[in-house]
Amino acid sequence: MDDYAAIKVQGPPVELERVPLVANQRGIGWLSDRIAGVVEGETPAWWKVCFAISVTMMTVCFAMILYLMSTGVGVWGLGHPVMWGWAIVNFVWWIGIGHAGTLISAILFLLRQRWRTSINRAAEAMTIFAVMCAGIFPLIHIGRIWFGWWLFPIPNSNSIWPQFRSPLMWDVFAVSTYFTVSVLFWYMGLIPDLAVMRDRAKTKIRKFGYGLFALGWRGSNRHWSHYEKAYLILAGLSTPLVLSVHSIVSLDFSVSQLPGWHTTIFPPYFVAGAVYSGFGMVLTLLVPLRRMLHLEEIIRVRHVELMCKVTLATGSIVGYAYAMEFFIAWYSGNPYERFQFFQTRAADPFIIGPLLHIRPAPYWWAFWTMVTCNVVVPQFFWFKKVRTCMLFVFVLSILVNVGMWFERFVIVDISLHREFIPSNWNYYSPTWVDICQYLGTFGLFFTFFLLFIRFIPLIAIAEVKGVTPQADPHHPLGGAKIGGEH
Amino acid sequence: MKTIPPNCPEPESGPKYWRSLDQLAETPEFRQWVEKEFPPGASEFTDPVSRRNFVKIMSASFLLAGLGSTGCRRPVEHIYPFAKMPENYVHGVPQYFATAMPSRRTALPLVVKSSDGRPTKIEGNPDLPGSNGGTDHLAQASLLSLYDPDRAMRCTRNGSGVSKKEALDYLSSLSKTQGAGAGLAFLLEQNGSPSRARLQQAIAAKFPAARWHVYEPVDLDLGRAAASLAYNSPVEPYYKLDQAQVIVSLDCDFIGSEENAYANIKDFAKGRALSGKDDPMNRLYAVESLFTLTGLNADHRLRVPPSMVVAVLARLAQNVLGSTEMDSKLNELAAPAQAHDKWITECAKDLKANAGKSLVLAGYRLPLAAHLLVMAINEALGAVGHTVEFHQVSSPKEGTLAELAAALNGGQVQTLVILGGNPAYNAPVDLNWPQAQTKAKTVIRLGYYQDETSWSESWVVRSKGVAPTQWDLPLAHYLESWGDGRTADGTMVPIQPLIEPLFGGITELEVLALIGGFTPNSPYEIVRETFRALGSQISLGSNVAFTAEPDKNGGGTFSYKWKPNSNAGDSENNWRKFLHDGFLAGSAESAATVQHDAAELKRALGELKAAPPPGKESLEIVFYRDAKMDDGRNNNNGWLQELPDPITKLTWDNAVLMSPATAKELGVFYDRNVQNQKFFNYQVEVTLNGRTIKGPIWIQPGMADHTVGLALGYGREKTGRVGTGTGFDAYKLRSSDNLYYASGATVKDTGDKSYELATTQSHWSMEGRPVVREANLEQYRKNPKFAQQMKPEDPPLIAPLYPNPLDTTKAKAMHQWGMSIDLNRCVGCSACMIACQSENNIPIVGKEMVGKSREMHWIRLDRYYASPAGAAQDKRMEDPQAVVQPMLCQHCESAPCESVCPVNATSHDDEGLNVMTYNRCVGTRYCSNNCPYKVRRFNFFDYNRHPLTHEFLYRSPLVAETDGEWELMRWLKNPDKGNLPEDQWQLSKLVKNPDVSVRMRGVMEKCTLCLQRIEQAKIAAKVKARDSDHIRLSEKEGTVPKTACQQACPAEAIVFGDISDPESSVSKAKEQERTYKVLEFLLTKPRLTYLARVRNPNQEMPDYKEHSLPYTTDEFEKGAFNEGEGAEEPAEKGAQ
Repeated sequence: MDDYAAIKVQGPPVELERVPLVANQRGIGWLSDRIAGVVEGETPAWWKVCFAISVTMMTVCFAMILYLMSTGVGVWGLGHPVMWGWAIVNFVWWIGIGHAGTLISAILFLLRQRWRTSINRAAEAMTIFAVMCAGIFPLIHIGRIWFGWWLFPIPNSNSIWPQFRSPLMWDVFAVSTYFTVSVLFWYMGLIPDLAVMRDRAKTKIRKFGYGLFALGWRGSNRHWSHYEKAYLILAGLSTPLVLSVHSIVSLDFSVSQLPGWHTTIFPPYFVAGAVYSGFGMVLTLLVPLRRMLHLEEIIRVRHVELMCKVTLATGSIVGYAYAMEFFIAWYSGNPYERFQFFQTRAADPFIIGPLLHIRPAPYWWAFWTMVTCNVVVPQFFWFKKVRTCMLFVFVLSILVNVGMWFERFVIVDISLHREFIPSNWNYYSPTWVDICQYLGTFGLFFTFFLLFIRFIPLIAIAEVKGVTPQADPHHPLGGAKIGGEH
Repeated sequence: MKTIPPNCPEPESGPKYWRSLDQLAETPEFRQWVEKEFPPGASEFTDPVSRRNFVKIMSASFLLAGLGSTGCRRPVEHIYPFAKMPENYVHGVPQYFATAMPSRRTALPLVVKSSDGRPTKIEGNPDLPGSNGGTDHLAQASLLSLYDPDRAMRCTRNGSGVSKKEALDYLSSLSKTQGAGAGLAFLLEQNGSPSRARLQQAIAAKFPAARWHVYEPVDLDLGRAAASLAYNSPVEPYYKLDQAQVIVSLDCDFIGSEENAYANIKDFAKGRALSGKDDPMNRLYAVESLFTLTGLNADHRLRVPPSMVVAVLARLAQNVLGSTEMDSKLNELAAPAQAHDKWITECAKDLKANAGKSLVLAGYRLPLAAHLLVMAINEALGAVGHTVEFHQVSSPKEGTLAELAAALNGGQVQTLVILGGNPAYNAPVDLNWPQAQTKAKTVIRLGYYQDETSWSESWVVRSKGVAPTQWDLPLAHYLESWGDGRTADGTMVPIQPLIEPLFGGITELEVLALIGGFTPNSPYEIVRETFRALGSQISLGSNVAFTAEPDKNGGGTFSYKWKPNSNAGDSENNWRKFLHDGFLAGSAESAATVQHDAAELKRALGELKAAPPPGKESLEIVFYRDAKMDDGRNNNNGWLQELPDPITKLTWDNAVLMSPATAKELGVFYDRNVQNQKFFNYQVEVTLNGRTIKGPIWIQPGMADHTVGLALGYGREKTGRVGTGTGFDAYKLRSSDNLYYASGATVKDTGDKSYELATTQSHWSMEGRPVVREANLEQYRKNPKFAQQMKPEDPPLIAPLYPNPLDTTKAKAMHQWGMSIDLNRCVGCSACMIACQSENNIPIVGKEMVGKSREMHWIRLDRYYASPAGAAQDKRMEDPQAVVQPMLCQHCESAPCESVCPVNATSHDDEGLNVMTYNRCVGTRYCSNNCPYKVRRFNFFDYNRHPLTHEFLYRSPLVAETDGEWELMRWLKNPDKGNLPEDQWQLSKLVKNPDVSVRMRGVMEKCTLCLQRIEQAKIAAKVKARDSDHIRLSEKEGTVPKTACQQACPAEAIVFGDISDPESSVSKAKEQERTYKVLEFLLTKPRLTYLARVRNPNQEMPDYKEHSLPYTTDEFEKGAFNEGEGAEEPAEKGAQ
């Protein structure tokens, strides 16, 4: 060790120095130990508690589905004219959350954003579980769940084909493709790490399990070469999907002629909103996790800060879209559009309503919750102090998701409850089944997520190593050196 | 494949070889040999004349001769399942029979569809002179009552079942034990049946001392009583509204709750119909305290408290009659109406200007003197003979319920026979009827339900063990009975059964005949004999005497008046024609020559007193006949319970109606306490003369101030599964001296807001949107195309990216279906809603589901209130105008619902129908979201298979048991069967139309324009066409079917037909200038168009300033649409 102590590292000037992505100049071996240690170590008590709660809630989710299937959609709060309620709101919300993972892993990969490596694995897992939660709702919200397979183009003796003009059909393809590619992409990236886990495994079961899924990875140059190419291809494939899936989901609404749904800006607006909520969810998950799993050196404050910036950017796009919706409603001169935005959404009983002499809208509180959470909340991220205060970020990230849930509620239900013919107008409120169903999907999500952090390295070991100075042979700390393992 | 061998020609000569035994058997030699071989007689079958044949023919002749000599075959009265298929009967092809539904004093002629022996749909009889085949919602819904599982199903004696034979024997025994009939009392409902009158007369002859009493809780027959007094002869008024140019209604809801409303609507709508801008149009003035359908259709409406209606009438009388000797009295009576003087004067001017073409109507709630005064006015206006004529009627001298109660309490009644009615529920509360009824020794009660008047345990307790022996007999439904009746104009109509009594029901005629000890006593024979007697004056044996001569003195107890009719009589042909046609041609009454006599009017006026105006501490109550429950008789009918009230749109309940101003004054004005379509309003206590009832409040815009409206017929203590728990009982406040109006009531807020009211429409304002388009007559004449101009700017028409396939296919299709609804003719009576429900197997969903806005009606009637745009906020609900609009699937040519269905469950056919494939529907409900009219209905639960309560609808079969069996297992065994009780399940299947599928849960449904009727018509046309290609349905040939709603509509507002036929009436209707499409700017291209409404206000009226534009037009033009300043809404859905 002494042989190398004399080597002086000539770094860039201090003001140009980048904050290292891994703190404390941790070595490659340390990274393996630390990340694999999360999986290999003792099961923490908090994990057990959280897991018990999650499994209970997941049971509620399935119980609600059984109740719904056996009894009828009537157990939800739907009625004329609001035929889509919480189920569709939750679907769009979960799908939106499922955006960040693939965005981080694919788009940031293509854009050479090296900071993505510490968070992409967890974000992708989050994506997959979120899409699973999302996928439940369109299936169970239909009246005859047992015929749900009719939405797939399966050749049958009646020669009845699905109707490809319907955006719901597009949804079926968009979501299932997105899910498939996301799973593949996630699993691809996992292979080298699974091999690490296999090599480190001490029990036969672990050895077998990890070994099975590591697909015989040996880390040879040829493997790595193939792996890198495949990863790049999948990243390229996933990138348009990130944009397409939520664009398609938004078409469910914009293809219809309902004021408040029939809006051409929906596709970009939904994608921005989805990224916004996805990053919000990543923050919600990783901010506490990095602390509880002692990963502060790998998921650094700088990572959190960068994510906050993405949140701020996409949140501002969302805010701009809201403004545009109002502007166009006014500018178009279409009285039904105007009514939808001014009378049905914005008119509150305190300021706007009295100012414009409009009766308060029945759901004004939902609209203003949405605006507060999606337009006002992200503005805090302009401030570095906010971005670096983990508690603050955590609270704001939750508000981001509350806001995005309300955004979907505003779009789906507020638009529906007062549309063209006033005799139809009605108020919509959920039932306990709606609420339990929604909470139940959290159970499903967290059950899977907890299992994920317990059994799979939640940070891409190989990739993080790749962005450390040690991985660069030309870096003074890089190359194969004695002691490089620490 | 089998190879067919080539023909092998027979050799011309040489020996004949037979190829098979069959060939051999065909040879003449062989046949001859066979005949010889067989025993003697075998050959005689081929012999044309032989002994055997002779005997055979002779024996058959003797048999037929025997039949002939004993007369005709007895008509089969029993209906059994077929052992052999009857001739001309095709399984699955419905048959139609003429019959009639008895109402109070008249009958509604019907044609009833019978599917495999069970009645499944009721239609009006279009063959009657002057009839258009329209019906009302009560007739439509009466079908469901037939299959009511809560009907009285057995004869009981003091609550325990006895055999029907025992009960009938007991009735027969009465005829022998009554002597002269002292102590025998009959309590009847009103009925116009000639047969019943004949039996009554015969019984009265046999038991001269028997008492006869008639009770109707809502007596719509006051006009007859008044006319008989005013003209000193037994006559009843018959209004010819189609002849009237100016109509003034004084608290007379002739469109809604008066007798024969369907006929009134037909005539009124005729006067409203506009085919072009130069057509005349009638004008309706309404003076009323409630907001009724008549008020809704009025051109000028004056809302006054009930006590003031008489004042308005008195002022009107002064104006019309000029100065008479009654002047001072009229002055006194008219004093309170001073404030409306100008209104009344101008109204009277209009009446006088149209003398001979004007008509004043008085409602059943007004006192007799008011009716007499109205008759004097009509007389002065020259209306008699033009817009009103008088028909001779019988005027039986029957006692009242109060007299009967007095007789019971006085111990003068030993045997009480109650036929129909439900006095224990609906008798005036001061009579204490339940107590009085126990004073008889024996009570015989014929009732449709086991209700309040039926025997109950509590009577024994109440009468300390000396309760009478009570026989309860099940009444047969009119579709199970033989009977007869008379329509509004006196035409005689038969009531013939469509089905054997389901539960052994007995008819009223049968009971009367048995008590009278007459033979024959079968209802069929009774009706047949009545018919026979109508042909001439004949005696029907010693028991049943009958005179067909009009009763000259009018004073006899039961003299039945009927002019002899040559179409009736003994002839079997006449009788068959009568039954086949459903009416007796030429039996309509003609106008009687009458002489007005004012003496009775003067006497009656003298007794009237001007009432003090009501106030906050002394409110006036109006007890009114409910639009659906009537007086409570329809309480267990689910279709009617779920039918929204035409004005309030309330279902399953009545409410304490009051005006917004009164509610504010009393501090019970509710606001923003609404969830979905549930309303949680204040419950108030209404106190009158020390009696109190409690009910939820309902703010009714346009009601008179300081007036409380209470609908009768709810809050039954003992009723079936459907009616239990609906509404509150307003009869509890009603006493003999204030049957319809009462003053001095107080209302106290209980602060309780827990009671839920369910309505089908919670938003009251049209928000200035051009959904219903209106103009006044003069504006319409100036600008006939006004309706097409009332719309937001159309989007630019650009060629669509994907051409609509219908545009190419419709050129090839044989028909193009379309519909036109004339909003000027539609009065909002709701008959179409029930007709649709009955035709299309639409389930009811129960109050809770209506509260969640899940009602299933395919056609609904939207009702909007409108006020002048400039009106002050608190004045907006005071005097609103209201409009109704039938809303159903618009069958858009480019339907938004179709393109969003992922499974192709809703699609377009070549003939322009938007069709729904229930089997394919998975229930994404996207189509409903994308439907701008929101006319699609979703089956949230299996409404056909569960009792409609929260407990049953919301319980999962995974954890529930029915009849001790795990529901899932039950379902696996028989997936069709839900957890309905067996009786309900079996009966609910019978009412279903076999031509329409019953939808399961999770499926979307909507109006199909009665596709099944179109298909049936097409099949019939194809069968008829045989090899020709004349299969196109044509209106001229009468092969185009009517939709159920169209057929039921008495106003002829709905026109359906082939729009590719330029001669069809729907094409003609669509060509009218008033035609418009709702939301046409969306370019959905609806096939259903509306004809805009036209109001006809009088420019001289003081309220014309506000009426110079219809309020809805005013709202639209003033841009309330953009500003969102519609009518103030207590019912606004801003809930938290």
